[in-house]
Amino acid sequence: MNIDAMRTFGTDETVDVVVVGTGAGGAPLTAELARKGLSVVAIEAGRHFALDDLTPDETAAVEINWMSERLSGGDDPTAFGPNNSGRGVGGSMLHWGAFTPRPDRRDLALRTETGEGRDWPVDPEELLAYVERVEGDIGVSGPSPYPWDPSRRYAYAPATRNAPANLVAKGCDALGVRWADAPAAVLTRARLQDHHGERGACVNCGECHQGCRTDAKASTANTYLPAAVAAGAEIRAEAMVHAIELDARGHVEAVVYRQHGVDVRQRCRSLVLAGGGVETPRLLLHTGLANANGQVGRNFLAHGATQVWGRFDEPVRGHRGYPSSLISEDMMRPADADFAGGYLVQSLGVMPLTFSTTLVRGGGLWGPELMQKLDQARFMAGIGINAECLPSDDNRLELVDETDEFGIPRARVSFTAGANEKAIDAHATAFMLRVMEAAGARETTVLARTAHTIGTCRMSADPSDGVVDADGRSHEIPNLWICDNSVFPSAIAANPALTIMALSLRTADRFLSSAA
Amino acid sequence: MPVTLFLLHALGSSAREFSRLRDLLDGTVDVHGVDLPGFGALASASDSSLDATVDHVIDHLARHARGRWMLGGHSMGGKIAGLVASRVLRGEAPLVGLAGMVLMAPSPPRPEPMDEERRERMLSWVADGPISDQDAETFLTQNTAEPLDDAAHADAVADLRRTSPAAWRAWLETGSRVDASAEVGTLDLPVLVLAGTDDADLGAAAQPGLLSSVYPRARFVPLDDTGHLIPLERAPEASEAIARFVTDEVLLGPVVPDDWAALIAGDRVDARVRGILNLRAVPDDRGYAPAVLDLAQLTLLREIADLVVPQDGPAIDIAARVDAQLARGEGDGWRNADLPPDPEAYRAGLDTLAAVWPTDPAAREDVLRAAIEGTADAEGPLDPARVKLWLEDARNDLVRQWLAHPASMARLGYDGFATGGRPMRGYVELRLGRREEWEPAGVGGTVETGDAA
Repeated sequence: MNIDAMRTFGTDETVDVVVVGTGAGGAPLTAELARKGLSVVAIEAGRHFALDDLTPDETAAVEINWMSERLSGGDDPTAFGPNNSGRGVGGSMLHWGAFTPRPDRRDLALRTETGEGRDWPVDPEELLAYVERVEGDIGVSGPSPYPWDPSRRYAYAPATRNAPANLVAKGCDALGVRWADAPAAVLTRARLQDHHGERGACVNCGECHQGCRTDAKASTANTYLPAAVAAGAEIRAEAMVHAIELDARGHVEAVVYRQHGVDVRQRCRSLVLAGGGVETPRLLLHTGLANANGQVGRNFLAHGATQVWGRFDEPVRGHRGYPSSLISEDMMRPADADFAGGYLVQSLGVMPLTFSTTLVRGGGLWGPELMQKLDQARFMAGIGINAECLPSDDNRLELVDETDEFGIPRARVSFTAGANEKAIDAHATAFMLRVMEAAGARETTVLARTAHTIGTCRMSADPSDGVVDADGRSHEIPNLWICDNSVFPSAIAANPALTIMALSLRTADRFLSSAA
Repeated sequence: MPVTLFLLHALGSSAREFSRLRDLLDGTVDVHGVDLPGFGALASASDSSLDATVDHVIDHLARHARGRWMLGGHSMGGKIAGLVASRVLRGEAPLVGLAGMVLMAPSPPRPEPMDEERRERMLSWVADGPISDQDAETFLTQNTAEPLDDAAHADAVADLRRTSPAAWRAWLETGSRVDASAEVGTLDLPVLVLAGTDDADLGAAAQPGLLSSVYPRARFVPLDDTGHLIPLERAPEASEAIARFVTDEVLLGPVVPDDWAALIAGDRVDARVRGILNLRAVPDDRGYAPAVLDLAQLTLLREIADLVVPQDGPAIDIAARVDAQLARGEGDGWRNADLPPDPEAYRAGLDTLAAVWPTDPAAREDVLRAAIEGTADAEGPLDPARVKLWLEDARNDLVRQWLAHPASMARLGYDGFATGGRPMRGYVELRLGRREEWEPAGVGGTVETGDAA
């Protein structure tokens, strides 16, 4: 991203808005507010990455991940780092998988439907209108029409189906399960992105999670952030916010961040936190703000993301091509469900180190058995899910005494799958095994995992059981807003980034109308 | 197949100065001398600058270096070898397989310490053309502890006399004075440094001060009653030291197969990735001193590693690599809340297991299995549940260190690192059972040929 001509603000100025975080939550709102003429400074803990800075090497590529340690507890501790946590200008969108199913209307009103979970205090139609805007802004490829939503159209043809996708398709066909090419924020033809320049078409390198080196994959660094800078916003990178200062009325008047070892205070009229489901609640718990009702950090949610790998006779070599190029939404509400909600299904290709970690952690393997599976990896195709997760008071983020490199207490996240999560997982595992066997797998391996960091500052109509209201504004501090996946009242089965960006645009509009 | 040692000669010499080493090491090390521009058979080359010389060596290596190889040099050649090696380990040369260095009375990357009067006197030898017989004799007398045998003497005189005066001047006036320490940086690979006790500025006493910061693994071997012309003066002693060094420090760990090495060296792989892979393929330090663990803990971790990631052939010291990773403070971004920070967890976990670890290798697997399953029968700093959690992390770290090595990637048939170049190239063929022509055959599948391809 070119920031040579970026407007900058003095720290003695009081800017209209400080946004903490430049990922899916922070960037669309930053662009939108700057476009409306507000002075906006977006503060980012990580650094800028040029395309040439990115590397396909999995070990080295963790430089785009949030690697400062987080503690994970509960019966089903969730993995952070490369699994779900980004750091850098662009946030987690530098490493995200670009899988962009739209949020399902039914998931947003799960309580009404099933009596379980939570309804979102958001009109689904309104949210979906923002989703379509985001798709236009970032460029999404996918099948037209879309089998589960025949009126839907995608601007770009789907990514090329890779070997795992073709095998999963074969299995689905045999079982009568509908499948389609996956919607993905990956360009299949070049595009001139406003304020950024040409983004190339996908070259099928398969290294989305290591950071896209052709700009084919959308991130905020090649979409909303250049637009924000063009509209006069400033991005301040390598700056870690660790304090929030209030005025006599109890309103935010400044943030303090550490940049290159120096503490800097930036005054602001409003503050938007967009650090994601871990960093946003960590900052609030550390500063002790917006938490009179004790809701900050509660209801941490992680998608069930179990995988089944099948071994085939011929080399699959699923590291080639867009990793998740097939989707099925047939399991969003399976007829034989004994649970609330449902799950999305995708085909899986994988990079070797990621796969080995899943074999060790999710499969418990070691020794000859581990080496054999690694030797067979090239013959394996995967199928995976993204499953609904219901909020639970037991699953929460807290601070521990141990501090990070900035002196901020580290986060401890406890997660234990509940009865509903276990029921979904059992159903999904059986389903995935059937698909892979129908596809002709000689042998199958089930690998448990969870994905995404959601919840912890949930949105609620009732001020007593959430952190922000339906607009994203703090129940307690009127000029404090939160705009990231921490506000999700429930996980919803769709992978979160598209929904986060839609919420970000919506929050920007709500912010503007509240100020008007 | 013997490992190849490419050697770069000294000022006024040629590849011929290594012929005695070549004969003595025959069958153990394949010594391959390289003439540098302005010297030996290349006396008529026009550009003898340091940059042109480095480029010449890289071109030569690209044509001849295969499998596992070493690079070295004598005096002037030592500085050039350092520059070439740094380019190789940064991935900025189309080369793969560098496994060690052999330096003889090397000129260091920093400006060579040299008496200015001596420099002027040597420059005066080429003021009116090539070096005379008499000046050649003077040079040999000044640079040897004892007279050379007749054949060596005759070769050395002939090489001095055919040296291009421009090349002689280029080194004395410029090459030897260039400060290349920043460019060379620190090169962490096996290095043998031979130096004479009767040599002056580049002698045995001076070398550790000149090179320790450049080559942290350098093994310094002094040669008694030896001047500056080691390959001519002490070929038998030098070849013995080289053979020992190669066995002890270079022939370790797996070798990247030739077709994979060619892929890594080629233009589908970006320099940074090539550099990363080249560094990982450097042989492990057999004398590795652990930074986070103590020696007993490291030994136990090595024994655990043998069970968790059994390696069939020459092994990577993945336990040492995990210790180095811990020392760099690198983890995977999280840990189980019941465990202390990684270094502490490793020490505590290993100390706990040590109490019940069998001396009989055959009995170890059962003990490890119990520990992995959370039923370790050990009382120590960690309870069995925590030993299990720590071992999950340790198993993960160990397998990731193994898999990061390019030879492991080759074994798994993973060539996704070769998706670079300008414009960047990914995969065209994504189908089951197919591969592309540029991919090593070992990845499996067939190449589609004919009209449909």
